[in-house]
Amino acid sequence: MTPETVDSKNILPCKLAVIGAGMAGIAAAVFAANRNIPTVQVGRVSEIGFSSGCLDLFATLPHPEVRSEYSQGEHTCSGSTQAFDHPFEGIEHLVKAYPSHPYARLTRQEIETGFDEFMQFMAGAGIEYHCGTDTNPRIITPAGTLKSTWCVPSFMQEGSRAIEEKKRILIVDIKGLKGFGALQIAQNLKKILPGVQGKTITFPGRETSGDLHCEHLGRDLENPGLFDRFAQTLMPHVKDVDVVGLPAILGIYRFDAARHKLEQVIGKKVFEIPTLAPSVTGMRIKEASLSRLPQLGVTGFSSLVKQIDMDSDGDFMFNVTRGLETVTVKAKYLLIATGRFMGRGLVVEDGIIREQLMGLPVYQPRNRSQWFHRDFFHAQGHPINRAGVETDACFRPLDIRGKVFHPRLFTAGSLIAHQDWKREKSGAGVSIASAIKAVATIAEQG
Amino acid sequence: MNTHVLIIGAGTTGTGIARDLSLRGIQCVLVDKGDINAGASGANHGLLHSGARYVFKDGEAAVECRDESRLLKHLAPQCIEDTGGLFVAVEMDDDNYIADFPGMCDKYHIPCKMISTREARELEPCLAPDLKAAFAVEDAVVDPFMLSLDNAADAQLHGTTIMRNTAVTGFRKENGQITSATVLNTRTGETQEIEALQYVNATGAWADTVSAMAGVNIPMIYSKGSLLVTQDRINQQVINRLRRASDADILVPGGTVSIIGTTSVEIDSLDEIRPTPEEVDSIIKEGAVMVPELEKTRYIRAYAGVRPLVSTQNGQGRSITRNYTLKDHLKDGLENFISITGGKLTTYRLMAEKASDIIARRLKNYEPCLTAERELPASKKGEWTEPAKSARLWMNKKDPKGTLICECEMVSEQMVNHIVDSLKSEGARPTLREVGNRSRIGKGPCQGTFCSFRLASYLYGTEELVDTEGLEQVREFVNERWKGFMPLVRDKELMRVELQESFLCGLFGLEKEIHDT
Ligand SMILES: Cc1cc2nc3c(=O)[nH]c(=O)nc-3n(C[C@H](O)[C@H](O)[C@H](O)COP(=O)(O)OP(=O)(O)OC[C@H]3O[C@@H](n4cnc5c(N)ncnc54)[C@H](O)[C@@H]3O)c2cc1C
Ligand SMILES: Cc1cc2nc3c(=O)[nH]c(=O)nc-3n(C[C@H](O)[C@H](O)[C@H](O)COP(=O)(O)OP(=O)(O)OC[C@H]3O[C@@H](n4cnc5c(N)ncnc54)[C@H](O)[C@@H]3O)c2cc1C
Repeated sequence: MTPETVDSKNILPCKLAVIGAGMAGIAAAVFAANRNIPTVQVGRVSEIGFSSGCLDLFATLPHPEVRSEYSQGEHTCSGSTQAFDHPFEGIEHLVKAYPSHPYARLTRQEIETGFDEFMQFMAGAGIEYHCGTDTNPRIITPAGTLKSTWCVPSFMQEGSRAIEEKKRILIVDIKGLKGFGALQIAQNLKKILPGVQGKTITFPGRETSGDLHCEHLGRDLENPGLFDRFAQTLMPHVKDVDVVGLPAILGIYRFDAARHKLEQVIGKKVFEIPTLAPSVTGMRIKEASLSRLPQLGVTGFSSLVKQIDMDSDGDFMFNVTRGLETVTVKAKYLLIATGRFMGRGLVVEDGIIREQLMGLPVYQPRNRSQWFHRDFFHAQGHPINRAGVETDACFRPLDIRGKVFHPRLFTAGSLIAHQDWKREKSGAGVSIASAIKAVATIAEQG
Repeated sequence: MNTHVLIIGAGTTGTGIARDLSLRGIQCVLVDKGDINAGASGANHGLLHSGARYVFKDGEAAVECRDESRLLKHLAPQCIEDTGGLFVAVEMDDDNYIADFPGMCDKYHIPCKMISTREARELEPCLAPDLKAAFAVEDAVVDPFMLSLDNAADAQLHGTTIMRNTAVTGFRKENGQITSATVLNTRTGETQEIEALQYVNATGAWADTVSAMAGVNIPMIYSKGSLLVTQDRINQQVINRLRRASDADILVPGGTVSIIGTTSVEIDSLDEIRPTPEEVDSIIKEGAVMVPELEKTRYIRAYAGVRPLVSTQNGQGRSITRNYTLKDHLKDGLENFISITGGKLTTYRLMAEKASDIIARRLKNYEPCLTAERELPASKKGEWTEPAKSARLWMNKKDPKGTLICECEMVSEQMVNHIVDSLKSEGARPTLREVGNRSRIGKGPCQGTFCSFRLASYLYGTEELVDTEGLEQVREFVNERWKGFMPLVRDKELMRVELQESFLCGLFGLEKEIHDT
């Protein structure tokens, strides 16, 4: 449902304003639209543009044992992590180890509903996901490791299947496309996937060019002549393999069509592997979802919010810009999904971590020297990663006394305290699950 | 293994001695437990002192710096950026000290010209507005890596054998002589004996540790100094604060960056040489008094080195010298062992000359020292280490086939090939760490997030890396950079760390045992 239109004073009233256009903000807007809540969404670039395109739920439990490491000498690997094939079973262990984790506030059913609704939305936006049934599927990373995740997009699907079925995989890289090494991937995987090989090819028309980017190659492949030449270049190498893994060069929009066409020509299944920044697979998700939301009636602003006020009705008021125009959004409910340091939901002033938009209290280590471990890869995860905004059971931020800050203020995503998505592999999961609970609560309250 | 002279420690001093002795025709073996410049020589400020800094405290050192810096500008120009320097005082600084400064410089014939504060701020717009005095001096900037690598290369050319990752772990003695040194290859764990006629201990802060293995004590205090590297170059000349030596007094430019420091913290052990967040805060606070934008600017790295301060007895009891100490252990009952420690980078050549004189005489070699006359040949080895040097070469050379591995510092695949070849010619494996040590890879703003990874892919592609060793090396490389970045993480840096951890842990899962999936 679309919010009412802007009135003469340039005021845009709505029921819910979502601040943030990352995974959590998008998910919240989707869930609100599904519940016919008139919604405005505001936000700029987010982490999604970097992400692999997979939706993680949970895979790894970082050991929670708190050790004062600052008195110890040098060491490189410490503590331990525990990997889980069954994410929901793992979450039970996770919430035991971290009782304030956002997942501790959610039932399995709530989480599953969130994923279902989100995947349906993505399908409508042109990206089909395949979800694990009970165990985490795995994908090949550009490092040559396997990553456990929960929902795999169509363009990585054959890779996941090939891992499970131990098929003969050919990884192809392209001369001049740096940071993606077929031999690196093959060398790292050969012990667990003996059928994997790596091969470097040159890209037609770009044989001598030094710095190639996935985006440009994607555009090249839209040219049918180049596409055919590219397919012909692949042909001689695919004879003795079952599937072919490419870096994500099949474009930002028509990747499915390109893949199917390639599969037809070479007669083998094809999958893509995410690449480092800029991540084409992440951009696909971003582009698809942000262009789909308006079709569901969500009004979006690519703008930053500086300040939030309350009007005499007790509604949240803030300004956004669109071109030269300034619009005042008036919302009964506010959901902030402004992310962490990259999103600028969290900032530091005088050595203290603060929530940037409303000055909400932030759970955090005592001081700067406690933020990090000396070992970057310390199994416990850095203490600062669990800093964030503490909430009640339906994700309403708490004030310093531990009471609900405002009954109609909600939050979602990586801004929430007591989770460490990077180590837990729970990025999309925390965002989606917290968003659905918050939005469902708003829908109930009316 | 047999040689005439075993030199222990391949910092500026050890490599300088190796070159000096080999130019006199003496056969040497040079060993270091790490790589060349693994100690203070790779962790200092890079200031080629004109001497002005020492006029109050140590006239002798001032004169040595004056003469040596002039010589080096002449003989090793490839290692030096002749920036010139300023001494400046701000409102709160001591007027008497300022008033005495030009006279003291005069006394030691160290050029020093008073300039107006306006002129100083025109030269260096970054200087604080409340400047009250400024003097121009002949300070310059030296690239310690290039200096040592060039010395090492010339020594090699004249017959010196260099062994890296080779630690001296003990000595065998007989009748007042060392008969051999036991060395351990720290990579393979193998040990062997090196027999030499003479032994030189040039291990800097480790001098006492090593001499103790021969039963000799060199009482010393360890003073840790930390430094911060800015993302962009802030100043053109060296800027010194004109006051009694204190923390964060000197801002040294170099290539595309500036370096502010140092601190001086007494430490008990050499196991843990790292800058702390507290030191970082204090350097920034102090430095900003002289150059305000140090408060706001971005930093890319912090590092620390240790100055060995050797105690010397005098009438009044203990005093500490910052000048060098050359100990002939004859007094301690050892005929063929000397130690040389302390001093400065600036005076490394002189230190090497003095040490080499003793050794040569003992070996009855009466050839003169040549390092004060002969140019230090520029070798290929140090070519890619100078900040921004690679950027310049890259820009000059438009090679459409060249792919950049490190985009921050513009290191290309060809440069990596060069380094790989030179490492292999020295019998070393081209690991990420070794290639990193010899290039600017990982030293730019991304701190190795992308380039360590690209370098690994590249080395896998050229079949220098196999199995999972490349990922292990990425871990090691990132942790090494982290050591220098962690204390600097204050606000904006958090975004970079978050991105880095998202990739390395969130996506790749490198915190786990590789393939524990
Ligand atoms: C390199 C990388 C790889 C990843 N890979 C995966 C993966 O494979 N699987 C997975 O599940 N997750 C992955 N993620 C994580 C996932 O993208 C994040 O967990 C998720 O995006 C967090 O979402 P968020 O919405 O809470 O925050 P963010 O994505 O940081 O979004 C915050 C949003 O808030 C907006 N904002 C902030 N302040 C304001 C303001 N004042 N006014 C208006 N707007 C504001 C920002 O503009 C931004 O749109 C990855 C992340 C990164 C960085
Ligand atoms: C913070 C700081 C800033 C400085 N700034 C400047 C400056 O701006 N200008 C200037 O002129 N001087 C400066 N100096 C001084 C200068 O860096 C040193 O004087 C100089 O680098 C000393 O070189 P070295 O070769 O004697 O010692 P080092 O460089 O410390 O070399 C000793 C070597 O011995 C090796 N070693 C140790 N034990 C063993 C063993 N058992 N077996 C084998 N090898 C061993 C080590 O690995 C090391 O490589 C600074 C020093 C510090 C600490």
